[in-house]
Amino acid sequence: MPRIPWKSALTRLADEVTWRRTRIAGLTLLLTLAAFALYLDIAVRAQFEGKRWALPARVYARPLELFPGGRLSPEQLVSEISLLRYRTVASGDAWTEPGGFQRRRDEIELVTRPFQFGDGTQPALHLILTFDDGRIERIRRADDGSEVTLARLDPLHIGNIYPAHNEDRLLVRLGDVPPALVESLIAIEDRKFYQHHGVDPRGMGRALVTTVSGGGVQGGSTLTQQLIKNFYLSSERTLRRKFTEILMALLLELHYSKDEILEAYLNEVYLGQDGERAVHGFGLAAQFYFAKPLEHLSLPEAALLVGMLKGPGTYDPRRHPQRALARRNLVLSELRRQEKLDDRQYLAAKTAPLGVARQAPGSLTAYPAFIDLVHRQLRRDYDDADLRSEGLRILTTLDPLAQRAAERALAARLPALEKARRLPADSLQGAAVVGDPQNGEVHAVVGGRDPRFAGFNRALDARRQIGSLIKPVIYLTALEQPERYTLATRLDDGPLTWQERGIPDWQPQNYDKEFHGEVPLPLALAQSYNVSSARLGLELGVPQVMARARALGVEQPLPAYASGLLGSAALTPFEVTQMYQTLASGGFRVPLRAIRAVLTPDGHPLQRYPLAVEQAIAPAPAYLITHALQGVVRAGTAKGIERYLAPEIAAAGKTGTTDQLRDSWFAGYTGDRVAVVWVGRDDDASTGLTGASGAMTVWGMMLRDLNPEPLVPPQPDDIEPVLIDPATGLRADAGCADAVELPFIRGSEPAESSPCAGQAPAGKVRNWFQRLFDRD
Amino acid sequence: MKYTAIRIAGLVGAALLTACAGLPGVDAEPAPPVSANSAVVALVDDARSAVGAGKPDAAGAALERALRIEPRNAALWQELARLRLSQGQYQQAESLAARSNSYAGTDRRLRALNWRLIGDARNQLGDVRGAELAYARADEFER
Repeated sequence: MPRIPWKSALTRLADEVTWRRTRIAGLTLLLTLAAFALYLDIAVRAQFEGKRWALPARVYARPLELFPGGRLSPEQLVSEISLLRYRTVASGDAWTEPGGFQRRRDEIELVTRPFQFGDGTQPALHLILTFDDGRIERIRRADDGSEVTLARLDPLHIGNIYPAHNEDRLLVRLGDVPPALVESLIAIEDRKFYQHHGVDPRGMGRALVTTVSGGGVQGGSTLTQQLIKNFYLSSERTLRRKFTEILMALLLELHYSKDEILEAYLNEVYLGQDGERAVHGFGLAAQFYFAKPLEHLSLPEAALLVGMLKGPGTYDPRRHPQRALARRNLVLSELRRQEKLDDRQYLAAKTAPLGVARQAPGSLTAYPAFIDLVHRQLRRDYDDADLRSEGLRILTTLDPLAQRAAERALAARLPALEKARRLPADSLQGAAVVGDPQNGEVHAVVGGRDPRFAGFNRALDARRQIGSLIKPVIYLTALEQPERYTLATRLDDGPLTWQERGIPDWQPQNYDKEFHGEVPLPLALAQSYNVSSARLGLELGVPQVMARARALGVEQPLPAYASGLLGSAALTPFEVTQMYQTLASGGFRVPLRAIRAVLTPDGHPLQRYPLAVEQAIAPAPAYLITHALQGVVRAGTAKGIERYLAPEIAAAGKTGTTDQLRDSWFAGYTGDRVAVVWVGRDDDASTGLTGASGAMTVWGMMLRDLNPEPLVPPQPDDIEPVLIDPATGLRADAGCADAVELPFIRGSEPAESSPCAGQAPAGKVRNWFQRLFDRD
Repeated sequence: MKYTAIRIAGLVGAALLTACAGLPGVDAEPAPPVSANSAVVALVDDARSAVGAGKPDAAGAALERALRIEPRNAALWQELARLRLSQGQYQQAESLAARSNSYAGTDRRLRALNWRLIGDARNQLGDVRGAELAYARADEFER
């Protein structure tokens, strides 16, 4: 072919045009790409930051304090550290890791886990505790034997408070994830995670080959890419989507560290379905499948979850246990192949059962009723934004052992009561609150017979008539007027008709439908006589009595009518606990609180809840009413407590029963606990239970498990004990048959002596209440 | 000349006395230990250091912790009362001093200190008459 000169010129021109077009096209493409990338970049960052904010506030129970002389038995300590999931260290094993213990009869050796408290970080402590007679005798450091005067265990993590958008998450920090899980994840899903920049070319290459050869768009995704898929994109599997995903992965790696990406991945990845709720994140998955916090997952459990990533539905261990087991063991063998495990670990894990909890727990926390209280008290005192935007740590007052005792008592007694009284199963409900009489800290809150269920919180919200629980307020009001009333005063339990304009005549009745004539004041309270109590209240004036109730801490408006004297007011168990706390502390009202401190992520206290004390009633009348309430337990309607507590405990308490036996109450206190129990039906129907036959049995069982301190209130300096003849209420001496010693406010002691005084000694002094009990 | 010398001596003496009155240890007896429990003693030391370092919240937390260990220790309640007084929480200070009294038993020295504290708190709250009554009670216990 001859070469025509103009043709080559044309070709050259054509080439040039093409080249320019190509250049323009290339530039345009590049610009579009850049714009796209910029758009993606903004989207990636905005979304990532938005998700990262969603770290909830972590909530902790109170730490157990350890000090020489502290009341603690080895069994109690073992219970506590078992709850904390400390592992037993076998003899001869090295003591290296925190969270281990060993029991040797009267000695316990342990290594605490480090924890950052509000007043500083306590490092891991290796201690040996020696016990004697229910107390810690001494504490020594294991390494040098030096004495330790005070130490705390790490507190139990009891739950999280979630951000407002209510996504069901159990977000975890990378630091809390078991290393075994992270290693398995990377080994199985993305071996080069720490090396690549978002994408793994070799993996992609393999995937490309599969796609091109018609095998559909395959995996080969890095963790970063998987995160992008979970976070941002729909589930289409097209080439274009893949391209976007790659670009976003690169951008993500540009802006965020490997640890940040890994943490986000651990919290976002889809791991199953719980009915309508999607299970996202390993934290939630650990709870959902194994009913444990993520920190406590074992190797085989972690391996199962990692195995499920490829198909949570396909490998659902509840629906397809064989498949799940096979998948888990595949993961384990791959880990073995990569030498992440040695033979011993591999075999142990491979032969372990699936370990899946039969039923998914209903709530994310084991203590929903208590957490509910925490939430309310936080909401009352903090900005919602403060609570959500930082990873706060909330140190509460929960005593896990008290909580357990309360839950167990309700769970055991309610079905027993139903059976004994032939009530339909599951018809009874209950609530319990336990607190510290001295500082108002709330130790336990149980909102219903099924404590794991986060439903109606009866402890905080069930408003029920308190019946006879109001009576101590009447008697307290009386005893605050020592010139008119003392413990030797005799009340009139004869028939009473109260006339008030606008209401029908009120004729209160006693529970036994009898009238008892003249009765000593303490007996009227001990036997919960309605008639004499009502008469006394009317003498004092209903508004006066209700004002004293308010002083004790009742904030609800109280009825101004006579029927209020017999407890027509409706309060919640929590409100009743506040009332009895004031009595239990000897007259000092301390607002019940569930929170000790709120800390920012780096350990600074956000706001401290200081001890707020107010003297609501004078010490002397408070002392007298406690004495009388001890009588209720010793020989009155609460005598049944003796089945649960030894007489030396000398608990004080009051039974409460309402009209037609709709509510069964018991409120009482020992030296170290104040507690209230309510039992009843949600539909307000009669249960056939009195305070003594119902709530008191729950209270007794609960307190028995807590090994309470005896109630020995300090005697105020204006109290004088005086020997009294119960028959007359006058001074006695050894010559009187039934003389008994009673406390009096100085100046209010009877001036006269009884006729029996001055005579020859006649028999031993008998118990005051027993004597009066027999008389009736 | 002589009178001037005497006056100067008098002034110096008065100045010394005033200075001494602010020093600890000028009281008739030294303060007894707060507790037999070494943990409580350690916490009280921490609290006092915290006060010295200008960290009243930390001091309060340490005292509350000590009170959880010994809830009926009158001296601890008084430490807390003193702290609240210094923080300007006068009603709290008064209540806490009363709480201390309820556990004080026969410790007259402690009771006197409590009543003096109550008097100071009431003064700050503007209750002059109440303060006088409190100081009078303090005097009774100091005799």
